Amino acid sequence: MADVLLQAQRVAKFFGDRPVLHALDFSARGGEAAVIVGRNGVGKSTLIRVLCGLARPSAGRLLLFGREPTTLAAPEFRRIGVLLHQTLLYPNLSARENLEFYSRIFGIVDCAAHALRWLERVGLSRAAEQPVTALSRGMEQRLAIARAMLADPDLILLDEPFAALDADGAALVTALIREALARSAAVIFTAHSPLEIMGVDLGLFKLEGGALSPFKEDGRRGPLRSLLRRL
Amino acid sequence: MLEGFGPIVRKDLRLELRSGESTVALLSLSTLILVVMVLVFGPGGARRAEVAAGALWLALIFAGTMGSTRALVAERETGCIRALLLSPVEPGTIYAAKLSVAMIFMAEAGAGVLLILVLFFNLEFGRALLSLIPVFLLGILGLAALCTLLATVSGRVRGGAMLLPVLVVPLFIPALIAGSKASAAVLSGQPLGSVITWIKLLCAFDVLFVAAGYLLFEHVILED
Repeated sequence: MADVLLQAQRVAKFFGDRPVLHALDFSARGGEAAVIVGRNGVGKSTLIRVLCGLARPSAGRLLLFGREPTTLAAPEFRRIGVLLHQTLLYPNLSARENLEFYSRIFGIVDCAAHALRWLERVGLSRAAEQPVTALSRGMEQRLAIARAMLADPDLILLDEPFAALDADGAALVTALIREALARSAAVIFTAHSPLEIMGVDLGLFKLEGGALSPFKEDGRRGPLRSLLRRL
Repeated sequence: MLEGFGPIVRKDLRLELRSGESTVALLSLSTLILVVMVLVFGPGGARRAEVAAGALWLALIFAGTMGSTRALVAERETGCIRALLLSPVEPGTIYAAKLSVAMIFMAEAGAGVLLILVLFFNLEFGRALLSLIPVFLLGILGLAALCTLLATVSGRVRGGAMLLPVLVVPLFIPALIAGSKASAAVLSGQPLGSVITWIKLLCAFDVLFVAAGYLLFEHVILED
């Protein structure tokens, strides 16, 4: 059985007195995929920020690769790929410069060629020299996904990866998720409505009232789910 | 240990070359402060060296707090600091890179300020001005260290940019006294050796705040 890459034990998060996440238990092993579904403002983005170690849990314990995030050695962060609501791209740098910069700080050898390969991979070769400010929201999302996946991480956390993407973009993300799972990475992502990816055993969870529970089928299919079923 | 330092510094300098935000803010503000000082105290007089030294440090401290941390503030606004924190780069290295960038911006503005100072206060280009360089560099290292650390703290609150000078100036007072006294002495023609006590104080201040920033950055930058 693959190693547990992420383990949240009774994790809670408060903003002031306002609870956002209540005593969540969650874990992910290599090769597993999970989607966390919830309405706007329910705390999905906060959960992703907590799970990647960016925000401290108010209570409970989070383990990444068996260790608390604050005790992780810096090189271990090469194993984590995160997509947040903000694209984390430098607006005044071009698409190529952004990927080259991130390749460099991730210690990737031959970062210029690596950046170009990823630009081609996400269909942005023609926009390589355009500054991020000149990209459409969908193109920016593709670039942000490339940034998150650049170092072939073992643990991938994606906050609404399908947001702002057209059908080709959604197909691209599903292909990248499949590839990551094939090399035994764990993939956790959030979405507004439940979805399926053909050939992928996807754990469905629902975040509601700060609690995470297995998602129960109610027969409804959102437009995103229908689209992804076709892909 | 400093893996990632070079790429972050190069990226910040490239962004500054494109936007010029920090340079414009630093130079225009420091020039304004110098003009005000000249208008208030006059360019000549017996206490010319003291007034020139005071004007230099006043210009640097206010322009520095407003302009030098622009790279770090922008990184917070775009959220890119999160990507850096989730990268294999040590938080201390991110601090060192941001401190270096702030220092480069301040040195650049300082060179401009010195030139204006010479013109406004009828100072001579010569040994006195050369002797001022080490004092000046030690001063901006401490100021950049303090500004970078406190910009990280003030960036967590709304209107933090306005809060930064309020946090920086009181803490910078020991270095300000040392820097302005040493500058006044060398500008009035005294050798650098005569201000060694002030230079030692500047060095101590630099060591304290560079070390504090390097060690504390990780704790103040992480989100609650």
